[in-house]
Amino acid sequence: MNVTFPPLLALLLFPGGLFLLVSGMVFEYIDRKLIARFQNRVGPRWFQPLADFVKLLAKEEVIPTGTNRILFVALPIVALTAALTAALSVPLFGFKPVFSYPADLIATLYLLSTMTLCIGLAGANTEDRFSIVGATRALTQLFSYEAPFLLALLGPAIVLGTWNIGEINQSATNTLWFIVSQPIGFLVALIGLMGKLELPPFDAPEAETEIVAGALTEYSGRGYALFRIGRDVELVIGLTLISAFFLGGFTTPLDFLWKTLLLLLVTAALQSLFARLRIDQTVGLWWKIGAILVLVQLLLIILGTQLSPLVSRIFGG
Amino acid sequence: MDNKKIETFVVPIGPQHPALKEPGHFEFTVDGEIVTDATARLGFVHRGMEKGVEDRTWVQGLYLMERVCGICSHVHAMAFALGAEKLANVQAPPRAQAIRELVGELERIHSHMLWLGVAAHEGGFDTLFMLSWRDRETVMDLLELVSGNRVNYSANVLGGVKIDISAAQKDEILKGMDFLEERSRHYMKVVTEDETFLGRTRKIGVMAYEDARVLGAIGPTARASGVARDVRVESPYAGYVDFPVNIQLSDAGDLEARFVVRINELFESYRVIREILEKLPPGDLAARMPRRIPEGETISRVEAPRGELLYFMKSNGTDKPERIKVRTPSLCNWASVLQTAIGHKLADMPMILAGIDPCFSCNDRMVTIKTPANPDVWDWETLRQFGIEYYK
Repeated sequence: MNVTFPPLLALLLFPGGLFLLVSGMVFEYIDRKLIARFQNRVGPRWFQPLADFVKLLAKEEVIPTGTNRILFVALPIVALTAALTAALSVPLFGFKPVFSYPADLIATLYLLSTMTLCIGLAGANTEDRFSIVGATRALTQLFSYEAPFLLALLGPAIVLGTWNIGEINQSATNTLWFIVSQPIGFLVALIGLMGKLELPPFDAPEAETEIVAGALTEYSGRGYALFRIGRDVELVIGLTLISAFFLGGFTTPLDFLWKTLLLLLVTAALQSLFARLRIDQTVGLWWKIGAILVLVQLLLIILGTQLSPLVSRIFGG
Repeated sequence: MDNKKIETFVVPIGPQHPALKEPGHFEFTVDGEIVTDATARLGFVHRGMEKGVEDRTWVQGLYLMERVCGICSHVHAMAFALGAEKLANVQAPPRAQAIRELVGELERIHSHMLWLGVAAHEGGFDTLFMLSWRDRETVMDLLELVSGNRVNYSANVLGGVKIDISAAQKDEILKGMDFLEERSRHYMKVVTEDETFLGRTRKIGVMAYEDARVLGAIGPTARASGVARDVRVESPYAGYVDFPVNIQLSDAGDLEARFVVRINELFESYRVIREILEKLPPGDLAARMPRRIPEGETISRVEAPRGELLYFMKSNGTDKPERIKVRTPSLCNWASVLQTAIGHKLADMPMILAGIDPCFSCNDRMVTIKTPANPDVWDWETLRQFGIEYYK
């Protein structure tokens, strides 16, 4: 849909800003409810993510001794800001991206990684041993999924010849869905998103039975609330990106909804199917299988795009 | 730079930690993710029950000892009752012995299914946790059906049991067993075939046969390493004489084997429960017990879900016991945890710890040494006062 919003409105209310925060909570609710139903539990009530958020905001924020106070307070804010900034170049809810520029795909992906980086720094900033182990694991995981995730999303970009998310979304509606032509890329991107968000089975960085809450162990109150809502926002943006790239893009909010919710259903199922991977297993999985598969696919794509004009010139000529 | 000082990074687990359902303290020295040293410290939930039972009559003691453990409450009461009966030279009637075994096996089912869920949760497999606990409700309901209680069934009295199994209850139990057997088959498939789960259990926490013997491991932990140790088989007690069970062994010694052995024990329990219900001997439920137990001492051994449970009982001829010493199975298995932990990853620690099905509060003891400065033997009241002062 080609609706242009006034910049201030887009930043603060819709489709970025407040509306994005709320939809993050809705997505979190759906995710939690689905997993609960898969596990034969009742699951949370519809306002639970909001209630959690409000409760955490109202709570006292304890800043432990031995930490850099500025970093401790600033990191959650930076993380949330980065996630919200990333939303600007993404066709949220099927509307045209608010702020679009050439190759914004790369910038958006880096903005999405800022969250993990902030969590890692937040863990390393405290003296808590669980936090330090959690931070090490979070950063290790970042280095394992990031490259395959990026390469997987580059697949459609290379085929369509543009690195602009909005244009990719537009063009994807006119071509064969990339989930059909690049199934490996789709799988790697989806699983990469789960790794990015530290969802099970990639939740080693915050494995509660080992290291309590991982890097965020020392966070309470506002800081923790911001990290959580930031992650929800990333979930929405990540699902938007993948469905725009691989599920044929979308131009209406309705299209957006069913495609992202379908993906959410798949990730929820994946989350409840597996036992937690150890961090060494995660790294092994990504570098031994994920990266290689994606590289092979990328090679095929490049060969295909380079060779097809040649082939058509010879035979079609 | 002081090179001699070796920097160690210790990850403390407990006394309060999400992985622990009871307070215990573990310190894992890690090099990156690899554990190089492990120590355990217990004693956070000492309750003074051994002392407490000395101040109570034999009948009251039965109810106190049943509360040593919330998961294996029946075996504690059974061990106590069997010991007291041995001292008093009273033989409980065969129907009572069979019902004791029946409740004991129902309890084993609930304990093993509880463990299955906890162990899966420690490995981050929450779906298995939730589903196995859902199915565990079946056996909890059956226990409530036969005894009226879900946790402390209070099935035993000195000299027999106080619950009977009616025809309607029998049908319910049989129906429950069919359901649980089908579910257990599914769980067996999950723990032996699920790739991600096997990645966390196969070849992890391996304890060789020799190690298990040397470290004195008992129960399913030992049986998973091929050590044929099961009191039910070695020296049958209660109903196990008439309704014997087969020992379940595995040679692998890893975490997967502990899952397999415990699930196989579930199948064995279903089988023996069906057999007991089929051929439940008729007759009285309890024999007459004297109020004063004759002087003497004895050892009573039973197989708890976690391994051999040992009671040393001494009577001085009054209506109160002179000394009761309880050695619970978890105590024997701690050494095996600390031994197998070394060399594994930090992420494996919760599962290795859960692999022995630990029970913390039942193995906490306090020892005071009689010295010239401290000549008195403490009585129950002193111990109680000490506890109140200590936690003030």
